[in-house]
Amino acid sequence: MIIQGTHRTGDVQDRADVVVIGTGAGGATLAVYLAERGWDVVMLEKGGFFRAEDFSQREEEALADFNGRRGLDTTADNAIFLNYAEAVGGTTVHYWGDSFRTPPDRLQRWREEHGLEWMTEEELAPHFDAIEQELGIHIAEERLLNENNRLVRKGCEALGVEAHIPPTARIDCIGCGWTQFGCAYNRKTSQLITTIPRISKVGGRIYSDARVERILVENGRATGVEGVLVDRATDRPRGRFRVDADLVVVSGGALGTAELLLRNFDDPTVGRRFYINPHFWVFADFGREIDNVSGIPCAYVVHEWRLVRRTPSGEYAGGGYIMLTSHQSPGITATMLPETGAAHLERMRKFRHLGSLMSVIDEDHPGRVYLDGGVRKTEFRLKGIDVLKAVDYLKNASRIFLAAGAQEVWIPDVYGTVVRNERDVEERITARSVQPNAQFCAGSHLLGTAPIGADPRDSFAGPTGEAHRVKGLYVADGAALPSSVSVDPSLTIMGVARWIAAGIHERHGRAGV
Amino acid sequence: MPETTGSERLPSGTGRAEFRPVSNRSWPVAEIDGGAPARGIGTGTFPPGIDRRGFLRTAAGGTAAIALASVIPVGCAADYPQATEDGVELEALSPKEYAVLRAAAEAILVDVPVPPDRIARRIDRELALAGDPIKTDMKTVLTLLEHLTLLGGRLRRFTALDVEDRVAYMHTWARSRFTLRRAVFQATRAFIYFFAYCDDATRPITGFTGPWRERIEIPAYPVDFGEVV
Repeated sequence: MIIQGTHRTGDVQDRADVVVIGTGAGGATLAVYLAERGWDVVMLEKGGFFRAEDFSQREEEALADFNGRRGLDTTADNAIFLNYAEAVGGTTVHYWGDSFRTPPDRLQRWREEHGLEWMTEEELAPHFDAIEQELGIHIAEERLLNENNRLVRKGCEALGVEAHIPPTARIDCIGCGWTQFGCAYNRKTSQLITTIPRISKVGGRIYSDARVERILVENGRATGVEGVLVDRATDRPRGRFRVDADLVVVSGGALGTAELLLRNFDDPTVGRRFYINPHFWVFADFGREIDNVSGIPCAYVVHEWRLVRRTPSGEYAGGGYIMLTSHQSPGITATMLPETGAAHLERMRKFRHLGSLMSVIDEDHPGRVYLDGGVRKTEFRLKGIDVLKAVDYLKNASRIFLAAGAQEVWIPDVYGTVVRNERDVEERITARSVQPNAQFCAGSHLLGTAPIGADPRDSFAGPTGEAHRVKGLYVADGAALPSSVSVDPSLTIMGVARWIAAGIHERHGRAGV
Repeated sequence: MPETTGSERLPSGTGRAEFRPVSNRSWPVAEIDGGAPARGIGTGTFPPGIDRRGFLRTAAGGTAAIALASVIPVGCAADYPQATEDGVELEALSPKEYAVLRAAAEAILVDVPVPPDRIARRIDRELALAGDPIKTDMKTVLTLLEHLTLLGGRLRRFTALDVEDRVAYMHTWARSRFTLRRAVFQATRAFIYFFAYCDDATRPITGFTGPWRERIEIPAYPVDFGEVV
C-alpha cells in the first residue's frame, strides 16, 4: 500500500518487523528482499509519490518535484550543484540507468583499507545476478545511441581509447531521452516501478511525504522512528507518525542519511567523508545539427582513464576518472555554457550542434556534511591530485571530440576557453578552469557519509551494515559505501544493500520462510 | 605507464577519525520514548560550521564585502519601485532584491525573448518554495551584487548602472581571482539562465522542439502499485 502523507490528516502509528527510511536504490532493494521473505515492512520516504503520468519531461518541473531542495542545492561555497532525488523510488527515479558491477580493484581496496573482508566478486555475484535479472539490465541497444554518443565513439576509436556501451536498466526503451526527469513510459526499471510495487503487493506499507526526525533507541537498541507527514505543496505538517519496529534501516542517501544521523547521534564518523564524483562538462561544436537529446543520455562510457596512472617514480601521470556522454536540456545547458549577453546567446543558438561529455572523477579528497544552526550543509573542494585529474579529463575529452571532427571544443569556464587543436589542448586547458565557481560543476554520485567498515573509529556501521554502537540500526545506501566506486554506483549500492538484507534475514530471519 | 589499483590515500584529517567519546554522557545521545528529544550533533564535535555567508567571510575580500553589505540599509524600498511597477507581489525577495535581480536579468539576457520581469518574478516564486538555506543565500548574493560596485571601480549601485556597464561589471566578477565574486556571479547567472531557457519562448533560439510528451502520445506500461491512498 502506498500511503501519501500529503493526503493524510492526523497522526499515524504503525508497527513492523523492519522500518526502512528511504525508498531508493539501497532501501527498496533491501526492503523487497525482506518483504518477499515474510518480513512485515514499512518504508518511509521524505519525497512525494509520482507516477509516469506525473512526469511532464519539463526540466524545471522535474527538478522542483523530486530533486532535493528543488534541484537548487549546492555546496556551501556555491561551487558544486548537488543532484539527488527525494521521491518514492529515490534517485533511481532520475538516474540514467547505467548499471556497472563494482570494479574488483575497488572491492580489494575496501577489503584492505576498511576491513570489509566479505566484499569479494564471488560474494556479491549472486546479488548482482538477481538484481540484473529483476531490472532487466542489459547492454544498451545500438539504436539507443544518439549522434552525440556515436561521435564520441568515433573519437575514441580514432584515438584507440577504451570505451563501451554500458549495461542499462530499462526494458523496451523508446529512447525519448528524458529519463533524468522521470520515465514517463515506465520503461526505465527504477525502484519506483519494480521493487516498490512488489513490496506493496506483499503487504508492505510505503509512506511518502514522511520526514523522519527521531530514531528511537531503548537500552542501546533501535526500536523505531518518529517524524512528521508534510503537505507536499506547502511543506506544512499534516500530522505526526510513529513506527515501532524490531529493526531500523537508514537508506536516505548520502545526504539524507547523514542529516538524520547527525540529528540523532553524536558520532564523529558521520558526514566526515562526502564523495560526489565531480562532474565537469566539455562541449563540442560540430558545425551541423546533431541529435544530442534523444536516445539514452549516456549510451557510451569512456573507461580508458578510470585508474590513476603514475610514473615509475610515483608521480601522477593521468587518469582517475571516467567520461559519460551527457544529455542536454536547454535550461541546464544554458546554465552550463560560458559567457553572458550576446556571446552566450550565440552559443545557445548552437544548442543542436553540440556534443557533450561529462566527467566522473574518482576523488581522493572527500568533502563533508555537517549541521550548522540546525541546517544541513556540505563542503567539497577539489584539491591535490583531484585537480590534476580534472584537468587531465578536460584535455582528453577535448581530444576525443577533436578526433571525432568537432570544429571547436568549449571548456565552459568563465574564461570562455576554446580549443581547436592539440596545441590549444596543451596550452589553454589549465587548472584555472576547475577553480571553485570558474565553471559549472555538479555531483550526483553522493556517497560515504555513514560508511561501513571494521574500525569503529573510521566507520559508523560494521561490515554487516549494523551500527557499531546501536543494535538493530542498519545503514544500507550510498552513505554506507566507504568511498567512491569509480563508476556509476547504483548497482553497487543495490548489491551491497541486498547483501546486507540477506545477512539480516539470516541472523534474524522470520520462521517458515 | 604503470597503473595502480587506487590513487592517493586519504590525507590526514579526512581519513581515519580519532574516536572521541562524548564527554559527560554515554553514547549515543539519542534518548528516547518519553525522554528528552534526540538532538543534533554536539557543537563541539566538529569544527565550527562554515555556512555560506561564513564561507564568504573566509574568502579573499569576503570580510570587507560582508562588512560593507551589513551596514547597508535594508529598508530603502522607496528607491526600488520595480516590483510595484511590474505588479509583482513578492513572495521571497524584498523590493530591493527584486530590483537587483531584474536588473541582472536585463543585463545578461540580451536579445533573449523572455522579459526580465518574468524571470525575476519566477525566481522570486522559486525561492519562496525552496526556502532556506537557498533563499537566504540568494538574498545575500543580490545584496553584494548591488553594493559592491565600488570594488569594480564604479561609484554607483548596480541597479543604477546602464545595461552595458552592468554587463561589464558582471564580467569582472566572473573572472575575478576572488572566489567570492565568482560565486556571486555564478549564482546569479545560473538562476537567470536556467529559468530563461526553460521558458518555451526561447525555443526559436535553441531549435529545441520540446519534450516528447508535448508531441507524441505513447502509453506508459501499466504498473500495479496496489492500493494508493
